[in-house]
Amino acid sequence: MSPRPQGVPAGGRHFVRGGALRRLAARDGTAAAVMIAPAAVLFALFFAWPFVQGFWLSLHHWDGFSPPRFAGAANYLRLLKDRVFLGALENNVIFVVAVVVLKNVLGLAVALLLDKAVFGRAFFRAAAFIPVTMSFVAVGLLWSWIYNPVFGLLNAALDLFGLSALKMSWLGDADIALYSVIAVDVWKWLGFHAVIYLAGLRTIPAELYESATMDGAGPLGRLWHVTLPLLTPVVFINTLLAFSGAFVRNFDIVYVLTKGGPNHATEVVLTDMMTRAFGNGQMGYAAAMGYLLFLIVGLLSVALLALMRSRRLDV
Amino acid sequence: MAASRDDVPARIDPATLLRPRRLAGLAGVYLALTVVVVQTLYPLLWVLSGSLKSKQDLINNVWGPPASFVLSNYADAWRIAGMGSRVANSAMVTALALAVLVAAATPCAYAVSRLRFRGRGLVVAVTVAAMLVPPQVMAIPLFMVARDLGIINSRVGVAFIYAATSLPLSVFILRSFFLSLPMDLEDAARIDGASRLTILTRIMLPLVRPGVALIVIFGFIEIWNDFFLAFLLLREPSVQTIPLGLVAFFQQYDSLWNQYFAALTITTLPVIVVFVLMQRQFIAGLTAGAVKG
Repeated sequence: MSPRPQGVPAGGRHFVRGGALRRLAARDGTAAAVMIAPAAVLFALFFAWPFVQGFWLSLHHWDGFSPPRFAGAANYLRLLKDRVFLGALENNVIFVVAVVVLKNVLGLAVALLLDKAVFGRAFFRAAAFIPVTMSFVAVGLLWSWIYNPVFGLLNAALDLFGLSALKMSWLGDADIALYSVIAVDVWKWLGFHAVIYLAGLRTIPAELYESATMDGAGPLGRLWHVTLPLLTPVVFINTLLAFSGAFVRNFDIVYVLTKGGPNHATEVVLTDMMTRAFGNGQMGYAAAMGYLLFLIVGLLSVALLALMRSRRLDV
Repeated sequence: MAASRDDVPARIDPATLLRPRRLAGLAGVYLALTVVVVQTLYPLLWVLSGSLKSKQDLINNVWGPPASFVLSNYADAWRIAGMGSRVANSAMVTALALAVLVAAATPCAYAVSRLRFRGRGLVVAVTVAAMLVPPQVMAIPLFMVARDLGIINSRVGVAFIYAATSLPLSVFILRSFFLSLPMDLEDAARIDGASRLTILTRIMLPLVRPGVALIVIFGFIEIWNDFFLAFLLLREPSVQTIPLGLVAFFQQYDSLWNQYFAALTITTLPVIVVFVLMQRQFIAGLTAGAVKG
């Protein structure tokens, strides 16, 4: 907010300026309706309508062609016993936890390095940020070459450093494929979180570090007692961003790298949902998956926001 | 961001900079930063150099630069992947979506931040709630709605859907820009008899240009790079965008590595160049929303 001119009370300033503006304000209702109309139409068509339609659909059996049959809660009850779906949900949870932790820890580490850089900070920051601007498809295809077991960059690098024993079929081995996919997502977003952490670090006054040093705090002491407490709001923002992204923005990367394989080892809810809807023609069942995912993400996001509010971290 | 030290050099004290311990620490910082940069940039340089190699060169010489530049990889990739129509489709869909987005989001953000009317709080609440509903979870009903509207395989229709999915965040960002402007300018114009629409287009819009630029940059990266909604809604090859073309090319000709690298370079490089040219505004905009100085 810009500084408020002196003597002007907060809130609805132009209402206290007397007659002319008050009379004009009465016409604001019409102007507002006209200005909001285009956004409202887009919202009604592509947010509200599908949102309601999706709920209706999730209560029906429908193959996409013949008339839908009412199913009540049957789709949802079936989901709770569906091994592939539950496996996908579990993978999704592993994906979210790993990605949120790694993006925050590594993002903060990179930001601390950038903060200490005396020269060339803009270059290093831009270089770290570049993967963020790439499409998931480009990133996924790039990494499918890096992970290629025969001529991929990663195995070649292991050979180079004499670590040939660690060579693996990174996306073909069901035990590690999910973690290989997670690593790619972290690689793509690391610069994004580092840039936000860096901006947070730059708002911490240098005097606080100086006085902490005079009190005898070492580098770790300063990190623990000065940096992290002052950075708490930024940690929350980064967590919220990483969290909501990781639940629902993993379709592209999984589809391009593994299509959910091998044997559902990297299946997430969205890939499973798309296969059911367009591969198996279970539209109602897939809609129920989408709704359940929405409920999980929505409730957890609201909980996280409430936690931020309660700690007075208004963002 | 008044308290930001972003434009100030890092804390340097000339007296301590040359002490051995300080120098060793700095060397460590730059060593670690080099590792960070190598792991992000080397794979990209690897794609670039692979796109210029012959197939034999790529197999025999995994790490190094190309022995000779095989520019025909680019021409071949352009032809085989049908890049011409894909690039045109992506450009058309993205441009239309961004135009619709700005046209819809700006007046809405202005109204909820500067006008007093019944239901204003409701509009803001719906905007925030909609930010928590990712379009991906509505994929199936969105497909049905698009089918009912007859806009499956329609580039114009998909552009409107992209505009809608970027709308809540854009209104939210622009609203904070409008809220930061002083009221006085506007009040003077109103007493002079200017209409709300004139005020918005003539006075306010030039002042929130950085906010509009921000939603356009975010929207551009989001829409230009999107695979999911395009995969869902653009099923006809003739209307498909670049990401769909890349995946199709990859799945159809999985041994044309050099051409593949060329296609990847063609599609990735423009966005990287735009980012590098605009990185100051971009990063300032990104962090202004997330971090309050």
